[in-house]
Amino acid sequence: MSDALIEVFGLTHYFDGPAGTHKALDNVSLEMVAGEIFAVIGPSGCGKTTLLNIIGGFVDPSEGEVRVHGERVRGPAPDRGVIFQGYALYRWLTVQENVEFGLKILGLGRKARAERARHYLALVGLDEFRSHYTYQLSGGMKQRVAIARALAADPEILLLDEPFGALDAQMREILQEELLRIWDKTRKTIFLITHSVEEAVFLSHRTCVMTARPGRIKQILEINLPQPRYDFHVRTSPQFNAYKERVLEMVREEVGSDSRPDHMSA
Amino acid sequence: MKPVRYPKEALLRRIEAHPRIVGTVSVLAIIVIWSFLTRPGTSLSGVLASPGELVEELWVLLRKGYMGTSLWSHFQASLMRTMIGFTLGSISGVLVGLVIGQNKIIAAALAPFFSFVRPIPAIAYIPMVILWFGIGEFSKILVIFMSSFLYVSMNTAAGVRAVPVDLIRVAQTFGASSRQLFFYVIFPEALPYVMLGLKVGLALSWAVVVASELVAAQSGLGYMIMDAATFFRIKDVYIGVFLIGLVGLLLEGILVLVERKVVHWSGKA
Repeated sequence: MSDALIEVFGLTHYFDGPAGTHKALDNVSLEMVAGEIFAVIGPSGCGKTTLLNIIGGFVDPSEGEVRVHGERVRGPAPDRGVIFQGYALYRWLTVQENVEFGLKILGLGRKARAERARHYLALVGLDEFRSHYTYQLSGGMKQRVAIARALAADPEILLLDEPFGALDAQMREILQEELLRIWDKTRKTIFLITHSVEEAVFLSHRTCVMTARPGRIKQILEINLPQPRYDFHVRTSPQFNAYKERVLEMVREEVGSDSRPDHMSA
Repeated sequence: MKPVRYPKEALLRRIEAHPRIVGTVSVLAIIVIWSFLTRPGTSLSGVLASPGELVEELWVLLRKGYMGTSLWSHFQASLMRTMIGFTLGSISGVLVGLVIGQNKIIAAALAPFFSFVRPIPAIAYIPMVILWFGIGEFSKILVIFMSSFLYVSMNTAAGVRAVPVDLIRVAQTFGASSRQLFFYVIFPEALPYVMLGLKVGLALSWAVVVASELVAAQSGLGYMIMDAATFFRIKDVYIGVFLIGLVGLLLEGILVLVERKVVHWSGKA
Protein backbone atom coordinates (compact mmCIF):
# COMPACT_ATOMS: atom_id res chain seq x y z
CA MET A 1 0.00 0.00 0.00
CA SER A 2 1.33 3.36 -0.88
CA ASP A 3 0.14 6.45 0.95
CA ALA A 4 -0.56 8.22 -2.32
CA LEU A 5 -3.97 9.81 -2.78
CA ILE A 6 -3.86 9.63 -6.57
CA GLU A 7 -2.03 6.86 -8.39
CA VAL A 8 -1.65 6.88 -12.13
CA PHE A 9 -0.51 3.55 -13.60
CA GLY A 10 0.87 3.10 -17.08
CA LEU A 11 -1.53 5.38 -18.90
CA THR A 12 -1.34 5.12 -22.66
CA HIS A 13 -3.96 6.78 -24.77
CA TYR A 14 -4.69 6.83 -28.47
CA PHE A 15 -6.90 9.17 -30.46
CA ASP A 16 -8.42 8.42 -33.81
CA GLY A 17 -7.53 11.37 -36.01
CA PRO A 18 -8.12 12.06 -39.68
CA ALA A 19 -4.59 10.87 -40.45
CA GLY A 20 -4.83 7.64 -38.51
CA THR A 21 -4.37 6.74 -34.88
CA HIS A 22 -2.45 9.25 -32.85
CA LYS A 23 -0.73 8.38 -29.60
CA ALA A 24 -1.39 11.13 -27.08
CA LEU A 25 0.02 9.57 -23.92
CA ASP A 26 2.72 6.94 -23.61
CA ASN A 27 3.02 4.93 -20.40
CA VAL A 28 2.52 7.75 -17.91
CA SER A 29 2.75 6.81 -14.24
CA LEU A 30 2.80 9.13 -11.27
CA GLU A 31 1.62 9.48 -7.69
CA MET A 32 0.34 12.41 -5.75
CA VAL A 33 0.02 12.67 -1.98
CA ALA A 34 -2.82 14.41 -0.21
CA GLY A 35 -2.42 18.17 0.07
CA GLU A 36 0.11 18.37 -2.71
CA ILE A 37 0.10 20.84 -5.58
CA PHE A 38 1.31 18.99 -8.65
CA ALA A 39 1.86 20.85 -11.91
CA VAL A 40 2.18 19.33 -15.36
CA ILE A 41 3.85 21.36 -18.05
CA GLY A 42 4.76 20.54 -21.60
CA PRO A 43 4.52 21.69 -25.20
CA SER A 44 1.06 21.93 -26.69
CA GLY A 45 -0.15 18.60 -27.94
CA CYS A 46 1.82 16.68 -25.32
CA GLY A 47 -1.37 15.12 -23.96
CA LYS A 48 -1.44 17.01 -20.67
CA THR A 49 -5.11 17.87 -21.01
CA THR A 50 -5.82 14.25 -21.92
CA LEU A 51 -4.09 13.27 -18.69
CA LEU A 52 -6.36 15.60 -16.74
CA ASN A 53 -9.42 14.29 -18.55
CA ILE A 54 -8.48 10.73 -17.64
CA ILE A 55 -7.88 11.59 -13.98
CA GLY A 56 -11.19 13.47 -14.00
CA GLY A 57 -12.90 10.38 -15.37
CA PHE A 58 -14.11 12.19 -18.49
CA VAL A 59 -12.05 9.99 -20.80
CA ASP A 60 -11.36 6.26 -20.49
CA PRO A 61 -7.67 5.53 -21.10
CA SER A 62 -6.73 3.06 -23.83
CA GLU A 63 -4.37 1.36 -21.38
CA GLY A 64 -3.60 1.78 -17.70
CA GLU A 65 -5.69 3.15 -14.88
CA VAL A 66 -6.07 5.88 -12.30
CA ARG A 67 -6.79 5.18 -8.64
CA VAL A 68 -7.98 7.58 -5.99
CA HIS A 69 -7.66 6.20 -2.45
CA GLY A 70 -6.81 2.90 -4.10
CA GLU A 71 -10.17 2.82 -5.90
CA ARG A 72 -10.14 2.69 -9.65
CA VAL A 73 -11.60 5.81 -11.33
CA ARG A 74 -14.59 4.89 -13.49
CA GLY A 75 -16.00 8.31 -14.23
CA PRO A 76 -16.36 11.81 -12.85
CA ALA A 77 -17.32 12.03 -9.19
CA PRO A 78 -17.64 14.69 -6.48
CA ASP A 79 -14.23 13.80 -5.00
CA ARG A 80 -12.60 15.51 -7.99
CA GLY A 81 -13.64 19.10 -8.79
CA VAL A 82 -12.61 20.77 -12.03
CA ILE A 83 -11.72 24.30 -13.06
CA PHE A 84 -11.39 24.96 -16.78
CA GLN A 85 -9.63 27.71 -18.71
CA GLY A 86 -12.94 28.82 -20.22
CA TYR A 87 -14.63 29.01 -16.75
CA ALA A 88 -17.55 26.81 -17.89
CA LEU A 89 -20.06 28.89 -15.94
CA TYR A 90 -23.81 28.60 -16.44
CA ARG A 91 -24.85 31.85 -18.06
CA TRP A 92 -28.53 31.60 -17.14
CA LEU A 93 -27.70 31.43 -13.44
CA THR A 94 -26.57 34.19 -11.12
CA VAL A 95 -23.16 34.04 -9.47
CA GLN A 96 -24.62 32.54 -6.31
CA GLU A 97 -26.75 30.04 -8.24
CA ASN A 98 -23.61 28.95 -10.08
CA VAL A 99 -21.83 28.30 -6.80
CA GLU A 100 -24.92 26.48 -5.49
CA PHE A 101 -25.19 24.39 -8.65
CA GLY A 102 -23.15 21.42 -7.45
CA LEU A 103 -24.72 21.55 -4.01
CA LYS A 104 -28.16 21.33 -5.56
CA ILE A 105 -27.13 18.22 -7.47
CA LEU A 106 -25.57 16.80 -4.33
CA GLY A 107 -28.98 17.18 -2.71
CA LEU A 108 -28.40 19.95 -0.16
CA GLY A 109 -31.42 21.94 1.02
CA ARG A 110 -32.01 25.51 -0.05
CA LYS A 111 -30.77 27.07 3.17
CA ALA A 112 -27.64 24.95 3.48
CA ARG A 113 -26.80 25.65 -0.17
CA ALA A 114 -27.13 29.39 0.23
CA GLU A 115 -25.05 29.39 3.39
CA ARG A 116 -22.24 27.38 1.83
CA ALA A 117 -22.30 29.38 -1.38
CA ARG A 118 -22.06 32.66 0.56
CA HIS A 119 -19.10 31.28 2.51
CA TYR A 120 -17.14 30.40 -0.62
CA LEU A 121 -18.15 33.58 -2.42
CA ALA A 122 -16.72 35.49 0.51
CA LEU A 123 -13.56 33.38 0.30
CA VAL A 124 -12.99 34.46 -3.31
CA GLY A 125 -14.11 38.03 -2.57
CA LEU A 126 -17.27 38.03 -4.68
CA ASP A 127 -20.04 38.15 -2.10
CA GLU A 128 -21.29 41.53 -3.23
CA PHE A 129 -21.60 40.25 -6.81
CA ARG A 130 -23.69 37.22 -5.87
CA SER A 131 -26.81 38.49 -7.67
CA HIS A 132 -25.00 39.34 -10.90
CA TYR A 133 -25.13 37.16 -13.95
CA THR A 134 -21.78 35.76 -14.94
CA TYR A 135 -21.72 37.62 -18.27
CA GLN A 136 -21.63 40.83 -16.26
CA LEU A 137 -18.27 39.89 -14.72
CA SER A 138 -14.67 40.25 -15.87
CA GLY A 139 -12.59 37.19 -16.72
CA GLY A 140 -10.81 37.19 -13.37
CA MET A 141 -14.11 37.35 -11.51
CA LYS A 142 -15.56 34.58 -13.64
CA GLN A 143 -12.68 32.29 -12.76
CA ARG A 144 -13.20 33.15 -9.08
CA VAL A 145 -16.81 32.02 -9.43
CA ALA A 146 -15.61 28.76 -10.98
CA ILE A 147 -13.15 28.27 -8.11
CA ALA A 148 -15.89 28.94 -5.55
CA ARG A 149 -18.24 26.55 -7.36
CA ALA A 150 -15.65 23.78 -7.30
CA LEU A 151 -14.68 24.41 -3.66
CA ALA A 152 -18.29 24.58 -2.44
CA ALA A 153 -18.82 20.90 -3.24
CA ASP A 154 -15.79 20.20 -1.01
CA PRO A 155 -13.87 17.84 -3.31
CA GLU A 156 -10.67 16.25 -2.05
CA ILE A 157 -8.94 16.97 -5.31
CA LEU A 158 -9.02 19.96 -7.62
CA LEU A 159 -8.17 19.48 -11.28
CA LEU A 160 -7.15 22.74 -12.95
CA ASP A 161 -6.82 22.85 -16.73
CA GLU A 162 -4.80 25.96 -17.62
CA PRO A 163 -7.05 27.87 -15.26
CA PHE A 164 -5.56 31.31 -15.72
CA GLY A 165 -4.56 31.05 -19.37
CA ALA A 166 -7.34 33.35 -20.58
CA LEU A 167 -6.53 36.15 -18.14
CA ASP A 168 -4.24 39.14 -18.53
CA ALA A 169 -0.82 38.96 -16.89
CA GLN A 170 -1.70 40.98 -13.79
CA MET A 171 -4.93 39.13 -13.10
CA ARG A 172 -3.18 35.82 -13.67
CA GLU A 173 -0.59 36.57 -10.97
CA ILE A 174 -3.22 37.83 -8.54
CA LEU A 175 -5.32 34.72 -8.98
CA GLN A 176 -2.27 32.48 -8.62
CA GLU A 177 -1.55 34.11 -5.27
CA GLU A 178 -5.21 33.79 -4.32
CA LEU A 179 -5.18 30.10 -5.20
CA LEU A 180 -2.21 29.56 -2.90
CA ARG A 181 -3.98 31.44 -0.13
CA ILE A 182 -7.04 29.23 -0.60
CA TRP A 183 -4.83 26.15 -0.66
CA ASP A 184 -3.29 27.28 2.62
CA LYS A 185 -6.76 27.36 4.19
CA THR A 186 -8.18 24.22 2.61
CA ARG A 187 -5.12 22.04 1.86
CA LYS A 188 -6.81 20.53 -1.17
CA THR A 189 -4.79 18.27 -3.44
CA ILE A 190 -4.33 20.21 -6.66
CA PHE A 191 -3.48 18.79 -10.07
CA LEU A 192 -2.61 21.67 -12.35
CA ILE A 193 -2.12 21.67 -16.10
CA THR A 194 -0.30 24.72 -17.40
CA HIS A 195 1.81 25.93 -20.28
CA SER A 196 3.40 28.63 -18.15
CA VAL A 197 6.77 27.78 -16.59
CA GLU A 198 6.37 30.62 -14.14
CA GLU A 199 2.94 29.36 -13.05
CA ALA A 200 4.16 25.80 -12.56
CA VAL A 201 7.14 26.89 -10.45
CA PHE A 202 5.22 29.47 -8.44
CA LEU A 203 2.26 27.22 -7.58
CA SER A 204 3.51 23.68 -7.40
CA HIS A 205 5.37 21.55 -4.90
CA ARG A 206 6.37 19.31 -7.76
CA THR A 207 6.47 20.15 -11.45
CA CYS A 208 6.25 17.40 -14.02
CA VAL A 209 7.69 18.19 -17.46
CA MET A 210 6.26 16.15 -20.31
CA THR A 211 7.82 15.28 -23.63
CA ALA A 212 6.40 16.32 -26.96
CA ARG A 213 4.05 13.88 -28.64
CA PRO A 214 3.49 11.27 -27.58
CA GLY A 215 3.42 12.63 -24.02
CA ARG A 216 5.75 10.87 -21.62
CA ILE A 217 7.05 12.03 -18.29
CA LYS A 218 10.42 13.65 -18.93
CA GLN A 219 11.19 14.60 -15.38
CA ILE A 220 9.48 15.43 -12.10
CA LEU A 221 11.16 18.26 -10.25
CA GLU A 222 10.61 19.18 -6.63
CA ILE A 223 10.16 22.91 -6.10
CA ASN A 224 11.51 23.81 -2.67
CA LEU A 225 10.51 27.40 -2.30
CA PRO A 226 9.74 29.00 1.08
CA GLN A 227 6.19 28.64 2.47
CA PRO A 228 3.83 30.40 2.53
CA ARG A 229 4.49 31.35 -1.03
CA TYR A 230 1.59 33.63 -1.85
CA ASP A 231 3.82 36.69 -1.44
CA PHE A 232 4.63 38.01 -4.89
CA HIS A 233 8.21 38.74 -3.81
CA VAL A 234 8.91 35.05 -4.23
CA ARG A 235 8.58 35.64 -7.96
CA THR A 236 11.75 37.71 -8.09
CA SER A 237 13.87 35.66 -5.68
CA PRO A 238 17.06 33.98 -6.96
CA GLN A 239 15.80 30.45 -6.08
CA PHE A 240 12.59 31.06 -7.99
CA ASN A 241 14.52 32.15 -11.05
CA ALA A 242 16.85 29.17 -10.78
CA TYR A 243 13.85 26.79 -10.78
CA LYS A 244 12.32 28.65 -13.65
CA GLU A 245 15.50 28.30 -15.64
CA ARG A 246 15.73 24.55 -15.04
CA VAL A 247 12.12 23.92 -15.99
CA LEU A 248 12.40 26.21 -18.98
CA GLU A 249 15.48 24.34 -20.21
CA MET A 250 13.60 21.06 -20.12
CA VAL A 251 10.53 22.51 -21.79
CA ARG A 252 12.63 24.12 -24.52
CA GLU A 253 14.28 20.81 -25.33
CA GLU A 254 10.82 19.44 -26.01
CA VAL A 255 9.50 22.40 -27.96
CA GLY A 256 12.62 22.15 -30.12
CA SER A 257 12.09 18.44 -30.71
CA ASP A 258 8.51 18.94 -31.78
CA SER A 259 9.35 18.74 -35.46
CA ARG A 260 8.52 15.06 -35.68
CA PRO A 261 5.44 14.05 -37.64
CA ASP A 262 2.15 14.54 -35.82
CA HIS A 263 0.67 11.16 -36.46
CA MET A 264 1.64 7.55 -36.53
CA SER A 265 0.06 5.40 -39.15
CA ALA A 266 -2.61 3.13 -37.74
CA MET B 1 -2.38 74.83 -30.84
CA LYS B 2 -6.10 75.21 -31.34
CA PRO B 3 -8.08 72.00 -31.81
CA VAL B 4 -9.06 71.51 -35.41
CA ARG B 5 -12.81 71.42 -36.02
CA TYR B 6 -14.60 69.64 -38.79
CA PRO B 7 -18.13 71.03 -38.60
CA LYS B 8 -19.52 68.91 -41.43
CA GLU B 9 -18.30 65.66 -39.97
CA ALA B 10 -19.52 66.63 -36.52
CA LEU B 11 -23.03 67.12 -37.90
CA LEU B 12 -22.96 63.78 -39.69
CA ARG B 13 -21.83 62.07 -36.55
CA ARG B 14 -24.67 63.62 -34.59
CA ILE B 15 -27.17 62.39 -37.15
CA GLU B 16 -25.57 58.95 -37.11
CA ALA B 17 -26.21 58.74 -33.38
CA HIS B 18 -30.00 58.82 -33.91
CA PRO B 19 -30.90 55.98 -36.28
CA ARG B 20 -34.56 56.04 -35.19
CA ILE B 21 -35.04 59.67 -36.12
CA VAL B 22 -33.36 59.01 -39.48
CA GLY B 23 -35.68 56.06 -40.06
CA THR B 24 -38.79 58.06 -39.19
CA VAL B 25 -37.73 60.92 -41.44
CA SER B 26 -37.13 58.55 -44.37
CA VAL B 27 -40.62 57.04 -43.98
CA LEU B 28 -42.21 60.49 -43.80
CA ALA B 29 -40.19 61.58 -46.83
CA ILE B 30 -41.47 58.65 -48.89
CA ILE B 31 -45.07 59.40 -47.90
CA VAL B 32 -44.63 63.05 -48.87
CA ILE B 33 -43.06 62.16 -52.24
CA TRP B 34 -45.71 59.52 -52.84
CA SER B 35 -48.51 61.98 -52.01
CA PHE B 36 -46.94 64.56 -54.29
CA LEU B 37 -46.61 62.19 -57.26
CA THR B 38 -50.16 60.84 -56.88
CA ARG B 39 -51.89 64.19 -56.24
CA PRO B 40 -55.11 64.69 -58.26
CA GLY B 41 -54.48 65.64 -61.87
CA THR B 42 -51.12 63.93 -62.37
CA SER B 43 -50.64 61.00 -64.74
CA LEU B 44 -49.84 58.65 -61.83
CA SER B 45 -53.01 59.48 -59.91
CA GLY B 46 -55.11 57.04 -61.92
CA VAL B 47 -52.59 54.23 -61.63
CA LEU B 48 -51.36 54.42 -58.06
CA ALA B 49 -53.51 55.22 -55.05
CA SER B 50 -52.34 58.08 -52.89
CA PRO B 51 -51.63 57.62 -49.19
CA GLY B 52 -54.67 59.70 -48.34
CA GLU B 53 -56.94 57.51 -50.43
CA LEU B 54 -55.57 54.39 -48.79
CA VAL B 55 -56.21 55.77 -45.32
CA GLU B 56 -59.78 56.57 -46.36
CA GLU B 57 -60.22 53.07 -47.76
CA LEU B 58 -58.75 51.51 -44.61
CA TRP B 59 -61.27 53.46 -42.60
CA VAL B 60 -64.07 52.12 -44.80
CA LEU B 61 -62.74 48.56 -44.45
CA LEU B 62 -62.49 48.89 -40.71
CA ARG B 63 -66.11 50.06 -40.47
CA LYS B 64 -67.82 47.99 -43.14
CA GLY B 65 -65.43 45.08 -43.64
CA TYR B 66 -64.34 43.59 -46.94
CA MET B 67 -67.24 42.33 -49.10
CA GLY B 68 -69.49 41.99 -46.07
CA THR B 69 -66.96 40.22 -43.86
CA SER B 70 -65.26 42.29 -41.18
CA LEU B 71 -61.55 42.97 -41.53
CA TRP B 72 -61.09 41.62 -38.04
CA SER B 73 -62.48 38.19 -38.96
CA HIS B 74 -60.09 37.92 -41.94
CA PHE B 75 -57.27 38.89 -39.66
CA GLN B 76 -58.45 36.42 -37.05
CA ALA B 77 -58.70 33.59 -39.59
CA SER B 78 -55.09 34.06 -40.69
CA LEU B 79 -53.81 34.46 -37.16
CA MET B 80 -55.64 31.38 -35.86
CA ARG B 81 -54.20 29.17 -38.61
CA THR B 82 -50.73 30.51 -37.96
CA MET B 83 -50.98 30.07 -34.23
CA ILE B 84 -52.32 26.52 -34.36
CA GLY B 85 -49.78 25.39 -36.98
CA PHE B 86 -46.90 27.24 -35.37
CA THR B 87 -47.65 26.08 -31.83
CA LEU B 88 -47.94 22.43 -32.83
CA GLY B 89 -44.91 22.72 -35.14
CA SER B 90 -42.80 24.38 -32.44
CA ILE B 91 -43.66 21.95 -29.68
CA SER B 92 -42.94 18.90 -31.83
CA GLY B 93 -39.93 20.71 -33.36
CA VAL B 94 -38.36 21.30 -29.96
CA LEU B 95 -39.01 17.71 -28.86
CA VAL B 96 -37.63 16.18 -32.06
CA GLY B 97 -34.71 18.63 -32.08
CA LEU B 98 -33.76 17.67 -28.53
CA VAL B 99 -33.71 14.01 -29.51
CA ILE B 100 -31.75 14.59 -32.73
CA GLY B 101 -29.26 16.78 -30.90
CA GLN B 102 -28.49 14.09 -28.35
CA ASN B 103 -28.78 10.88 -30.32
CA LYS B 104 -26.27 10.57 -33.13
CA ILE B 105 -27.88 7.49 -34.66
CA ILE B 106 -31.32 9.08 -34.92
CA ALA B 107 -29.66 12.24 -36.22
CA ALA B 108 -27.84 10.27 -38.92
CA ALA B 109 -31.01 8.39 -39.86
CA LEU B 110 -33.01 11.61 -40.25
CA ALA B 111 -30.23 13.71 -41.80
CA PRO B 112 -30.92 12.83 -45.48
CA PHE B 113 -34.62 13.69 -45.13
CA PHE B 114 -33.93 16.94 -43.38
CA SER B 115 -31.25 18.04 -45.82
CA PHE B 116 -33.49 17.24 -48.76
CA VAL B 117 -36.59 18.90 -47.38
CA ARG B 118 -34.88 22.01 -46.02
CA PRO B 119 -34.26 23.85 -49.32
CA ILE B 120 -37.84 23.21 -50.54
CA PRO B 121 -39.97 26.26 -49.77
CA ALA B 122 -43.05 25.25 -47.80
CA ILE B 123 -45.18 26.96 -50.46
CA ALA B 124 -44.19 24.21 -52.90
CA TYR B 125 -46.10 21.69 -50.78
CA ILE B 126 -49.38 23.57 -50.98
CA PRO B 127 -50.65 21.91 -54.19
CA MET B 128 -49.61 18.49 -52.94
CA VAL B 129 -51.25 18.96 -49.58
CA ILE B 130 -54.42 20.19 -51.27
CA LEU B 131 -54.44 17.03 -53.42
CA TRP B 132 -54.15 14.88 -50.33
CA PHE B 133 -56.31 16.70 -47.83
CA GLY B 134 -58.46 19.11 -49.84
CA ILE B 135 -58.69 22.87 -49.34
CA GLY B 136 -59.93 22.86 -45.76
CA GLU B 137 -58.31 24.27 -42.63
CA PHE B 138 -56.31 21.12 -42.08
CA SER B 139 -54.28 21.61 -45.27
CA LYS B 140 -53.28 25.15 -44.36
CA ILE B 141 -52.40 24.25 -40.81
CA LEU B 142 -50.36 21.29 -42.02
CA VAL B 143 -48.22 23.45 -44.30
CA ILE B 144 -47.61 25.93 -41.48
CA PHE B 145 -46.85 23.07 -39.14
CA MET B 146 -44.26 21.68 -41.55
CA SER B 147 -42.43 24.94 -42.10
CA SER B 148 -42.21 25.85 -38.42
CA PHE B 149 -41.41 22.29 -37.38
CA LEU B 150 -38.45 22.13 -39.72
CA TYR B 151 -36.86 25.37 -38.54
CA VAL B 152 -37.46 24.83 -34.86
CA SER B 153 -36.23 21.23 -34.87
CA MET B 154 -33.07 22.04 -36.84
CA ASN B 155 -32.21 24.98 -34.58
CA THR B 156 -32.95 23.07 -31.41
CA ALA B 157 -30.73 20.19 -32.54
CA ALA B 158 -27.95 22.65 -33.42
CA GLY B 159 -28.32 24.23 -29.99
CA VAL B 160 -28.01 20.90 -28.22
CA ARG B 161 -24.95 19.98 -30.28
CA ALA B 162 -23.34 23.33 -29.50
CA VAL B 163 -23.44 22.81 -25.72
CA PRO B 164 -19.78 23.07 -24.66
CA VAL B 165 -18.51 19.78 -23.27
CA ASP B 166 -16.96 21.56 -20.26
CA LEU B 167 -20.40 22.63 -19.04
CA ILE B 168 -21.46 19.00 -19.02
CA ARG B 169 -18.24 17.82 -17.40
CA VAL B 170 -18.54 20.29 -14.54
CA ALA B 171 -22.04 19.00 -13.80
CA GLN B 172 -20.77 15.41 -14.00
CA THR B 173 -18.16 16.10 -11.33
CA PHE B 174 -21.05 16.84 -8.97
CA GLY B 175 -22.59 13.50 -9.87
CA ALA B 176 -25.38 14.81 -12.12
CA SER B 177 -27.70 12.16 -13.54
CA SER B 178 -28.51 12.27 -17.24
CA ARG B 179 -31.92 13.71 -16.36
CA GLN B 180 -30.26 16.48 -14.34
CA LEU B 181 -27.73 17.08 -17.12
CA PHE B 182 -30.60 17.55 -19.53
CA PHE B 183 -32.76 19.85 -17.42
CA TYR B 184 -30.01 21.82 -15.65
CA VAL B 185 -27.44 22.15 -18.44
CA ILE B 186 -28.35 21.03 -21.95
CA PHE B 187 -31.83 22.50 -22.23
CA PRO B 188 -31.06 25.96 -20.81
CA GLU B 189 -27.82 26.20 -22.80
CA ALA B 190 -29.69 25.33 -26.01
CA LEU B 191 -32.53 27.79 -25.34
CA PRO B 192 -31.07 30.74 -27.28
CA TYR B 193 -30.92 28.53 -30.38
CA VAL B 194 -34.48 27.38 -29.75
CA MET B 195 -35.60 31.01 -29.53
CA LEU B 196 -33.88 31.80 -32.81
CA GLY B 197 -35.68 28.87 -34.41
CA LEU B 198 -39.00 30.11 -33.02
CA LYS B 199 -38.40 33.59 -34.39
CA VAL B 200 -37.60 32.38 -37.89
CA GLY B 201 -40.32 29.73 -37.70
CA LEU B 202 -42.99 32.25 -36.79
CA ALA B 203 -42.00 34.66 -39.57
CA LEU B 204 -42.07 31.76 -41.99
CA SER B 205 -45.43 30.52 -40.72
CA TRP B 206 -46.93 33.93 -41.29
CA ALA B 207 -45.57 34.04 -44.83
CA VAL B 208 -46.86 30.54 -45.51
CA VAL B 209 -50.36 31.18 -44.17
CA VAL B 210 -50.75 34.10 -46.54
CA ALA B 211 -49.45 32.00 -49.44
CA SER B 212 -51.83 29.14 -48.68
CA GLU B 213 -54.74 31.57 -48.46
CA LEU B 214 -53.82 32.96 -51.86
CA VAL B 215 -54.24 29.51 -53.33
CA ALA B 216 -57.36 28.24 -51.67
CA ALA B 217 -59.35 29.93 -48.94
CA GLN B 218 -62.63 31.66 -48.17
CA SER B 219 -61.22 33.84 -45.42
CA GLY B 220 -57.98 35.37 -44.20
CA LEU B 221 -55.81 38.29 -45.29
CA GLY B 222 -54.28 36.25 -48.12
CA TYR B 223 -57.75 35.43 -49.44
CA MET B 224 -58.69 39.10 -49.15
CA ILE B 225 -55.83 40.40 -51.30
CA MET B 226 -56.29 37.63 -53.86
CA ASP B 227 -60.00 38.34 -54.11
CA ALA B 228 -59.43 42.08 -54.25
CA ALA B 229 -56.91 41.67 -57.06
CA THR B 230 -59.32 39.45 -59.01
CA PHE B 231 -61.99 42.11 -58.81
CA PHE B 232 -59.58 44.96 -59.34
CA ARG B 233 -60.04 46.52 -55.93
CA ILE B 234 -56.47 47.76 -56.03
CA LYS B 235 -56.66 49.85 -52.88
CA ASP B 236 -57.81 46.83 -50.89
CA VAL B 237 -54.84 44.88 -52.25
CA TYR B 238 -52.43 47.52 -50.98
CA ILE B 239 -54.10 47.69 -47.62
CA GLY B 240 -54.06 43.90 -47.33
CA VAL B 241 -50.34 43.77 -48.11
CA PHE B 242 -49.70 46.56 -45.64
CA LEU B 243 -51.64 44.77 -42.89
CA ILE B 244 -49.80 41.51 -43.56
CA GLY B 245 -46.51 43.36 -43.13
CA LEU B 246 -47.73 45.06 -39.99
CA VAL B 247 -48.82 41.80 -38.36
CA GLY B 248 -45.51 40.14 -39.31
CA LEU B 249 -43.65 42.99 -37.67
CA LEU B 250 -45.78 42.76 -34.51
CA LEU B 251 -45.32 38.99 -34.26
CA GLU B 252 -41.55 39.36 -34.51
CA GLY B 253 -41.60 42.20 -31.97
CA ILE B 254 -43.44 40.03 -29.48
CA LEU B 255 -40.91 37.22 -29.85
CA VAL B 256 -37.99 39.63 -29.51
CA LEU B 257 -39.46 40.83 -26.22
CA VAL B 258 -39.98 37.26 -25.05
CA GLU B 259 -36.41 36.44 -26.07
CA ARG B 260 -34.95 39.32 -24.09
CA LYS B 261 -36.87 38.21 -21.03
CA VAL B 262 -36.43 34.45 -21.25
CA VAL B 263 -32.90 34.11 -22.63
CA HIS B 264 -31.36 37.28 -21.27
CA TRP B 265 -27.88 35.76 -21.55
CA SER B 266 -28.19 35.11 -25.28
CA GLY B 267 -25.15 36.32 -27.20
CA LYS B 268 -23.27 37.23 -24.02
CA ALA B 269 -20.12 35.42 -22.98
